[in-house]
Amino acid sequence: MVSKPDISVKFCNLELENPYMLSSAPPTCTGEMIMRAFEAGWAGAVTKTIKPDKTPVYDLKNRFGVMGFETKQMILFENIEEVSKRPVGTWVKEIKEIKKKFPEKALIGSIMAECKEEDWEELARVVSEAGVDMIELNFGCPHGMPERGMGAFIGQRTELIQKLTKAAKRGSSVPVMVKLTPNVTDIAYTAKAAEEAGADAISAINTVLGLIGINIDTFEPIPTVDGMSTFGGLSGPGVKPIGLRCVAQIAQATNIPVSGIGGITTWKDAVEYLLVGAGSVQVCTAVMWRGYRIISDFVDGLTNYLADKGFSSVNEIIGKSLPKLTAWSKLNKDYTVVASINKDLCIKCGLCYVACRDGGYQAIKFEQGKAAEVDEEKCDACSLCTHLCPVPGCITWKKVTK
Amino acid sequence: MSGRVHTKTIPPHERISGFAPYVSNLDDRLAVYEASRCLMCFDAPCISACPAGINIPEFIYRIKTGNFYGAAKVIRESNILGGECGYVCPVERLCESKCVRRNLNEEPVAISMLQRFAYEKEKLKGLVKFPKSRSKDKKVAVVGAGPAGLSAAYELARMGYSVTVFDANPRPGGLLLYGILPWKAPWSVPESEIDLIKEYGINFVTNRKITDLKPLLKEYDAVFVGVGATKSQKLGIPGEELNGVYPAQEFLQSVAKWLMGEGKAPDLKGKRVAVIGGGDTAIDAACASVRLGAERVYIVYRRSFAEMPAVPYGRNQAREEGVEFLLLTAPVRIIGDKSVKAIECVKMELTEPDSSGRRGVRSIKGSEFRLDVDSVIVAIGQKPDEDLLKSYGVKTEKGLIVVDENFSTSIKGIFAGGDAVNGGETVVEAVAEGKKAAAAIDKFLSGGKSSKK
Repeated sequence: MVSKPDISVKFCNLELENPYMLSSAPPTCTGEMIMRAFEAGWAGAVTKTIKPDKTPVYDLKNRFGVMGFETKQMILFENIEEVSKRPVGTWVKEIKEIKKKFPEKALIGSIMAECKEEDWEELARVVSEAGVDMIELNFGCPHGMPERGMGAFIGQRTELIQKLTKAAKRGSSVPVMVKLTPNVTDIAYTAKAAEEAGADAISAINTVLGLIGINIDTFEPIPTVDGMSTFGGLSGPGVKPIGLRCVAQIAQATNIPVSGIGGITTWKDAVEYLLVGAGSVQVCTAVMWRGYRIISDFVDGLTNYLADKGFSSVNEIIGKSLPKLTAWSKLNKDYTVVASINKDLCIKCGLCYVACRDGGYQAIKFEQGKAAEVDEEKCDACSLCTHLCPVPGCITWKKVTK
Repeated sequence: MSGRVHTKTIPPHERISGFAPYVSNLDDRLAVYEASRCLMCFDAPCISACPAGINIPEFIYRIKTGNFYGAAKVIRESNILGGECGYVCPVERLCESKCVRRNLNEEPVAISMLQRFAYEKEKLKGLVKFPKSRSKDKKVAVVGAGPAGLSAAYELARMGYSVTVFDANPRPGGLLLYGILPWKAPWSVPESEIDLIKEYGINFVTNRKITDLKPLLKEYDAVFVGVGATKSQKLGIPGEELNGVYPAQEFLQSVAKWLMGEGKAPDLKGKRVAVIGGGDTAIDAACASVRLGAERVYIVYRRSFAEMPAVPYGRNQAREEGVEFLLLTAPVRIIGDKSVKAIECVKMELTEPDSSGRRGVRSIKGSEFRLDVDSVIVAIGQKPDEDLLKSYGVKTEKGLIVVDENFSTSIKGIFAGGDAVNGGETVVEAVAEGKKAAAAIDKFLSGGKSSKK
């Protein structure tokens, strides 16, 4: 038997037994919770964001919303929750306790303060001295905090990113990671700003600003707080493509490690993040839905995947897909294929016919009870049919020379 | 991929104490879930398999989006008895048998459950009523208020004709009330749809058996005959005249009437009952016997399960309720003095399929055996009332009214459809024929031009 692939990673100064950490969110609300997560097998955890005691924070009732699709109960999750309400002193005590009990696990202290350099410097000092392995600067929270000059308000302004990253670096005795918001025109630009200011790593993405829905019976937007609502932060499976894009862009633009976040629900999602250059990944929403216990499949699934693919270490796949990402203008315009329908697999539903007729090139012929057929002259290989065919592998590509 | 929804059913030992429905309907959540299983096929085979041609993917899509009333509208557009059909259609033979999900090795979409769901939602708001065309000065008589007659009457009334429906029973509905027992479809379903039909201004004359069509032809411009197939086929074996032998149609009718408070049901309490036949009616008669307190109920069928015309759903119901199947068994004679004491049966074997592909049967010599029973229900097929058709004077063949492609009988102005013509098909088939006949009558009355909207 081939030896078990090694899934441990070194991320900055952190020695992680696996690439999985809990992101700064409700599952890392208290020391007790973080320690239970560590017991379950998570390699690291970023605390829920710690803020100076003088900054008031409220937890609204209620503060979550979901969007489902057909039989899926949730494909997007929204929150309008703020950072940790707990005093810095409590966190300092609990950080010490966690590190004493789990010295080999990675503990990252997430911090946030108003746009005053001295506040960031001081908070970074206190939290790092409490014993965390790394500091994460929350420049990403898109709801509530930005109204008061915090969170994404900072992540959307490079001069603030740089000023406050430098301040935190001055205070911190451990490496500093900057958590960025995707709610910007170009995240590579803000990431580079952080790198220039001395950030040791980047984590991305924070939640995507959105409005999860409106109750069409009451006309109240969701989540509804006493009849009113506000825009919130989206997470969950639906934001994965945004997260993947951002992480790839950051990995292409900077030379510091990136911790990938955004819609990671299974080990497969994590593999995708690793392939576009994430050196570690962080999970929140999936844990909120199914608990810390999902870590065992995250670990096992990744291990089996690596073994099946013949890799001996997870490091071999980090960034493996990045060279395959290029500018649109550099894609091969001479490459030609046409769709090909497997007559034996075709279930004769006619869905490809309708799709091609109304959303494509009228290149599919169909008659009830017979397998659909591609008119190769008309097929423009847009690929629509291949995605909506209910039978995996029924519609494939055929190379042609035109 | 997603599995078909299954709703709660009352366990057999509890449900057989009464005649009430025992399958619960889908709730909103399950309906939307099941609706999302529909692939929304193009030129969907389920539509082709529906005699009424309901746009099934369209109504299911509307359920999926939460537009429940809109779903009901799609159904009612094609089938005025769409609620009833949601309950009684043998979907395993019709739409669901053609569901493309089956090609994915999955169970078909629960179309009938979704159709019931749409109907129940529709009922909450009031059944969908479509606009009527301007009144025409022509009158049509409809004989028989069963599914075919109701469907024809509704279509004609919508076209603006003045329609009068005659029925021998005290209540309109025909088979819907007097042939389908409430565990299959609560009577409130056809009643609500008959009430809807009445809203189109149709005149119903009940307790009036029409035995002569001539006077009607004088008073009306056209007549539609939809008298159904109310009689049972006979076995034609010795002993069929004994007390305790019931023709299935008449048996089910008497049970229905008894449930309505008219007359008495056959007393089967503690009795041993043999139902002869393998169709849906045999299943209904057997399950009704169980509910009437029969101690043992047998279904005696001369072929095997594979050839049995009854839908698997019904067979399963019967089995769950304790009905015993004596397959590859045929009755030779019924034994008794005045009343039934037993049946002499013979074992059968299947022969090779003939050119039509259907397997024949032959008896096995010396395999005769005696089955002690107190009652026999004969459910080997139904037929129209021969004497009635004779008195109508329309041409018949093998006991069925002969019609041309326009549903016109041998007498000009008299049209016919439903079981009296097809010999006993489904409710939905009767609805479809009533609809087509109405279109033909319209053409006839408007001098060859269809006046349909």
